[in-house]
Amino acid sequence: MHIIRTHNVTKCFQGKEVVSNVNINVKKGEIYGLLGPNGSGKTTLMKMLTNLIKPTAGEIEIFGQRLTPSSSFAVLGRIGSMIEFPIFYEKFTAKENLELHCEYMGYHNKKAINEVLEMVHLINIVNKPVENFSLGMKQRLGIARAIITRPELLILDEPINGLDPVGIREIRNLFKLLAKEYNITMIISSHILAEMEQMADTVGVINKGKLIEEVSMEAMRERNAEYIELITPDITSACFVLEHRLYLQNFKVVDQKIIRIFDQNVSQKEISKTLILNDIEMESMSKKVTSLEEYFMGLVEKENQNQVVKHE
Amino acid sequence: MNKGGVDMFTLMKLELKKLKIGWYVNGTIIANILILSVLFVISFIEKLEGNVVFRDYDEVFIIIGAFVRATFIIFAAVLIAKLVIEEFKNKTITVLFTYPINRKKLLGIKLLIIGTLTFITIIISNLFVLGSFIALNPYFQIISDPLSLKMVVQQIISIITFAFAAAGTSLISLYFGMRNYSVPATIISSIVIVALISSHNPVFSIASIVYIPLTLAIIGILIAFLSIRRIEKIDII
Repeated sequence: MHIIRTHNVTKCFQGKEVVSNVNINVKKGEIYGLLGPNGSGKTTLMKMLTNLIKPTAGEIEIFGQRLTPSSSFAVLGRIGSMIEFPIFYEKFTAKENLELHCEYMGYHNKKAINEVLEMVHLINIVNKPVENFSLGMKQRLGIARAIITRPELLILDEPINGLDPVGIREIRNLFKLLAKEYNITMIISSHILAEMEQMADTVGVINKGKLIEEVSMEAMRERNAEYIELITPDITSACFVLEHRLYLQNFKVVDQKIIRIFDQNVSQKEISKTLILNDIEMESMSKKVTSLEEYFMGLVEKENQNQVVKHE
Repeated sequence: MNKGGVDMFTLMKLELKKLKIGWYVNGTIIANILILSVLFVISFIEKLEGNVVFRDYDEVFIIIGAFVRATFIIFAAVLIAKLVIEEFKNKTITVLFTYPINRKKLLGIKLLIIGTLTFITIIISNLFVLGSFIALNPYFQIISDPLSLKMVVQQIISIITFAFAAAGTSLISLYFGMRNYSVPATIISSIVIVALISSHNPVFSIASIVYIPLTLAIIGILIAFLSIRRIEKIDII
């Protein structure tokens, strides 16, 4: 079952497309990572999901219901969100901000405030006005506010912005806990790939307003196993040997001289021995790993060069 | 999860909580004392110089009314700035509009609070300043005419009508404030409006013509309605 589905969602500001024909599918209970550089349209997309911004074209479906510009506010009671910046009533204390939030959400559980502040490790400063908070503290309080009513869906825009490494780990673990224990579906945006890699179940890559790829992390990892890179001037014969002597299928010619062998069945030693026995000249042969980082950067760069991105 | 919606009464209570109404109450008390003091100081000085300040009670009514309305139309602009404009400017509106509450209702309640508060405060202040003036008049001998019950009754009706007109007029500042979410534009526009409607001299008194503020009130209420209708369609960036 899908919690969020968008169909060709597009948003124009002053005639310029900020989000173009985006189709995302967020499954129930998963952590969906929205990955993209700054200014790629992540925030605009998230604001459309919370009905703050109305799409120019396309449709958004949340909990199976179509989001309409004017009448969809009831659904917001099932969503917790923090978009763009953690924004509060600055003159009010952390506690007062949370109390206001609960009243507006129609959530009356007095114990929830302390519980949630404990979850984000913000306990001693609850009675200080928010204007004195650092960005990291506001970020934690923003997360606390988003989760306090135990929503079914969390929409968080760059939630680890401004946190120190320890804080990042704490918050990451909190997200995993929320997804697992409370079955909360999450869509989290970030421009930091490593973060997504450690949290997300599915990643949507967005650049210049377009969704370039939507892929499960599992498929991603399989796809990006290590490979052997072979450089040879005699590429045709090399391919023949790989295919008919070593019975390899999963390799790819990437350049006039470069072959990448993804097959894990045959060792590097075996390959070089067979090639030499078949009298094929080699310039080099090395073991390599594409990291996800490279993979995604590749995607983004390709898109930037306006090339069509295709993957097997 | 979330059981039941949030009712109008709660929403109003929350708005007042965010507004921290204390400054408005204190401001009203100080403004009333100041208006009264200015009236007496002017009367006293003019009397010493042998000039006539107020020809009769009718003129006292007009001047006190104009003073009070001018003050609280500007106060209303401060309310508009705090309750509406600052929510947009400080982006707290992005939080408010992610609640399961109709945007129209949220904005409508804010404007209702501004209008009602202004209406009530103008009536109370007008009665207070006028009452104090009448009570203190025997000691200062500013007006020698007698005051009839008929005049008082007429005056009370007039105060209510003018208060309604002023409350409506005060909403015009919303239009100027919302254009760029600007607090100065909100306040300055209210000062300009006040300057336009409060002029009074023995020859010609705009302040005494009720049709001018009533017309402006219709415009103000129209602006409020259009803002409420528009709020659902706009993007909160």
